[in-house]
Amino acid sequence: MKLKKEGQGLTFSAPVSSERWLVWMTMGILLAILAFFMLYPVYDICKLSFLKGGTFTLKNYQSYFSNPRMFRSLTNSLYVSLVTTAITTFFAFFFAYGLTRTTIPGKNIFYTISTFPLIAPSIIQGLALILLFGRNGLITRYLLHTDWNIYGATGIIVAECLYCFPNALFILYTTLSAVDTRLDEAAQSLGASALRTFFKVTLPSAKYGIASAAALVFNLTITDFGVPVVIGGNYNVLATEIYQQVIGMQRFDLGATISVILLIPSVGAFLLNYYLTKKSYALISGQARPFLQPSRPFKKWAFTIYCWIPTTFILIVFITVFLGSFVKTWPYDFTLTLQHFDFPSLGGNAPLWTRFWSSVLEGQWRSLIAYKYAPIWNSLWVSVLVALGGASLTLLAGYLIEKKRPGGVEILYTLSVLPAAIPGTVMGLGYILAFNKPYFFIYGTFWIIIINIIICNFTLGTLSSIANLKQIDRSIEEAAISLGADPIKTFTQVVFPLTKTAFFSNITFFFMRAMTTISAVIFLVSAKVKLAAIEIIFLDIDGRTASANAMCTIIIVLVVAMLVVMRLITGKSGLKGMSVTA
Amino acid sequence: MKRKWTVLVISFVMGLFLAGVGLAKEKVTVYTSLETDEIVKYLEVARKDLPDLEIDIIRLSTGELGARMLAEKDNPQADCIWGWAVTNMEQFIPLNMLEPYKPKGVEKLEKRFVHPEYYYVGIDMYIAAFCVNTKVMKEKDLPMPKGWNDLLNPKFKGLIAMPNPVASGTGFLQVSSILQMYGAKEGKEDGWEFLKKLDKNIGQYIKSGSRPAKMTAQGEFAVGCSFDFVVAEQKKLGFPVEFVFPIEGAGYEIEANALMKGAKNPKAAKRFLDWAISENAMKEYAKFKYGVTLPGIPTRPDLPKLSEIKLYPMDFAWQAKNRDAILKKWESLFLR
Repeated sequence: MKLKKEGQGLTFSAPVSSERWLVWMTMGILLAILAFFMLYPVYDICKLSFLKGGTFTLKNYQSYFSNPRMFRSLTNSLYVSLVTTAITTFFAFFFAYGLTRTTIPGKNIFYTISTFPLIAPSIIQGLALILLFGRNGLITRYLLHTDWNIYGATGIIVAECLYCFPNALFILYTTLSAVDTRLDEAAQSLGASALRTFFKVTLPSAKYGIASAAALVFNLTITDFGVPVVIGGNYNVLATEIYQQVIGMQRFDLGATISVILLIPSVGAFLLNYYLTKKSYALISGQARPFLQPSRPFKKWAFTIYCWIPTTFILIVFITVFLGSFVKTWPYDFTLTLQHFDFPSLGGNAPLWTRFWSSVLEGQWRSLIAYKYAPIWNSLWVSVLVALGGASLTLLAGYLIEKKRPGGVEILYTLSVLPAAIPGTVMGLGYILAFNKPYFFIYGTFWIIIINIIICNFTLGTLSSIANLKQIDRSIEEAAISLGADPIKTFTQVVFPLTKTAFFSNITFFFMRAMTTISAVIFLVSAKVKLAAIEIIFLDIDGRTASANAMCTIIIVLVVAMLVVMRLITGKSGLKGMSVTA
Repeated sequence: MKRKWTVLVISFVMGLFLAGVGLAKEKVTVYTSLETDEIVKYLEVARKDLPDLEIDIIRLSTGELGARMLAEKDNPQADCIWGWAVTNMEQFIPLNMLEPYKPKGVEKLEKRFVHPEYYYVGIDMYIAAFCVNTKVMKEKDLPMPKGWNDLLNPKFKGLIAMPNPVASGTGFLQVSSILQMYGAKEGKEDGWEFLKKLDKNIGQYIKSGSRPAKMTAQGEFAVGCSFDFVVAEQKKLGFPVEFVFPIEGAGYEIEANALMKGAKNPKAAKRFLDWAISENAMKEYAKFKYGVTLPGIPTRPDLPKLSEIKLYPMDFAWQAKNRDAILKKWESLFLR
């Protein structure tokens, strides 16, 4: 994804001054949005962690590193993330290998199921593992009668592996399917054994992809909040420690300090991933992929069985949570019931929804539909607005970066891809510090949440817009301009229709993220705005696991419904290439 | 054609949203630490009694709610506090975060539960209790605990759940009552020594006062340190659990209401606070709580009589003064 300064479009049409002005203004607005809603909160965090009473001090860091328990959150985080990275990368690599280099049956099924973790909040992995392997788990307690349970590091690692699997898979799948397989064939026809070919040819050619997938998994794990908060037990990691310091202890300074500490590995992993992705793209050959030789029966069977392993695990997670939301008392009483969908939660008020239903319904139903289901309606609302806003802004950013390239566009590019490096919890805390002031009227409303989700997911939106815009020949646009279309018309009537696919896939992406995101938004929910994904956490903290499962189920159903709708509109499955970061 | 549709859909959506905002009723934002189960029931009554009031609620554990309000100090998001520990209320008065308000009907309440300058008005009381899972007890052949001391038995190792006092008000009153019992007010450290011994048996510290009881009911622990009515609720749901009120003296806490200084909707908040000590409200509270501050309302029959429980005489002023120090020390010793 290089920013080529010397475009082929040297023959650009005489720049009309109004167009230049428009491009500059658009870029100015985008830069202002990103600076104000991304840099400013992060700046506020750094400021709080380094300053005390206006003077520079390292006191916060001193108190962090001198407290053994807090310091452990750092080593815990690193340990969990490194182990998860190793396991996930290993499994995902051979899974991707099976999908791209062998002729196993059912590739589509494997691929589809492996993307499931993307449509649910990360917390679902934790919930399922607790139902199966918790202190009161179906397997640990009722099948094995053991006191062993999965709370702690083991639980976090297993859950994060499942959560990160599709993200690593996307990268490795792309890498392996893009590298020219004729090299392998050449090696084999020259007499190299299959193993030798694998280690000397296949593996080296995919090394950047592997490293980039590993960096991404590391980044995702170290920044995740949903999994450790449900399954961590007494095992604290950086992301949960920030929440505990801020929400539990009122220690904003320490929260900010830990945020800065968390920023270091997460930005590091991001930069590494970014650098390696570029390298790995350089290895991609434009050659059409030749026919895949039918695999030998042993290889075929081995890989078929192998691919079923992660797939089965992922399926079990989803089935468990589904079941858990419909049975009476897991694991004592498996009578089917809908009682957990009568959320023992406060719900809240949702615009329109509450007023309408409370005027139509009476008594129990009113309390259920009008108030308790309000967070779900809120989530839908927020997600629709995030989808429209996020997809439009990132398309605009991509358009400026790829097609217009005004001076200083590198700054816009850098700011656009940076959000992926900033952990959600850090962004959430930053938003409180920066925007909880009387004159920011958006604080405590929907709008701050909508803005936050758009900014946190800006990276992938922009990158996929750029990738799609690259495919449009500049000459089409030039033709439009020379035929007399003004820049707005060119964009809406020529560029937009051509990038519709990218736009709709961005809509799907932003919608999914808004429905499932937890880490940043948990700092921003208020009495007026409650969201479904956050209710899962509150229900779980309150000890209402079954209802937490039920809420998870509802979110999944809504996301799947959205995917079906988008598929009907665009005729394409929306999940391809939909990793959290690029 | 298509563009027209998009524009139409977007403007329709935006229009609906703005309409929803525009047609606002009178609104009040309430922060509370009452249990979710109760709030759901109370709100049904509140919405009937105050049909034109839109009540937005945030429910967080005692400690977390305090943190939130402190964070929002310069821009208070809440209009009033409902059912929050008096210990924490006391801490908020010197911080200038509460506004004295004398709700309608306050004269009917028992005097000792109302702040003399009306900074807060007490509504109810809750008492520390153990939730004991009799099935787990039988399986592991454990002796029935009578009080805190019995929980030191090494047989209970890993089988006790206790709330984290930093987040949970219940946890704080348990820790605070133990410290006071062992003479912390006279400067003795024995209470901390006791907690250190107890710590060896604690399976997990949980950031909620009710969850230890719920987890114990489901068989995850043998004993869950929790409070009165949550245990009664678990029993009512059919779980094999029993109450135990520690014989050394059970800690308790008063829950109170207050008006926030700088409330954005003071008028609506006052209406809500008036309702929150009305007879209708108190009758609902009494369906859950041990005692309410309005005399003459019968309490729930499935809880042991108050006269049969030995309450520890809690010193709320001392607690409020020392809360931060206690929590800091607790954290450094026990948080894993």
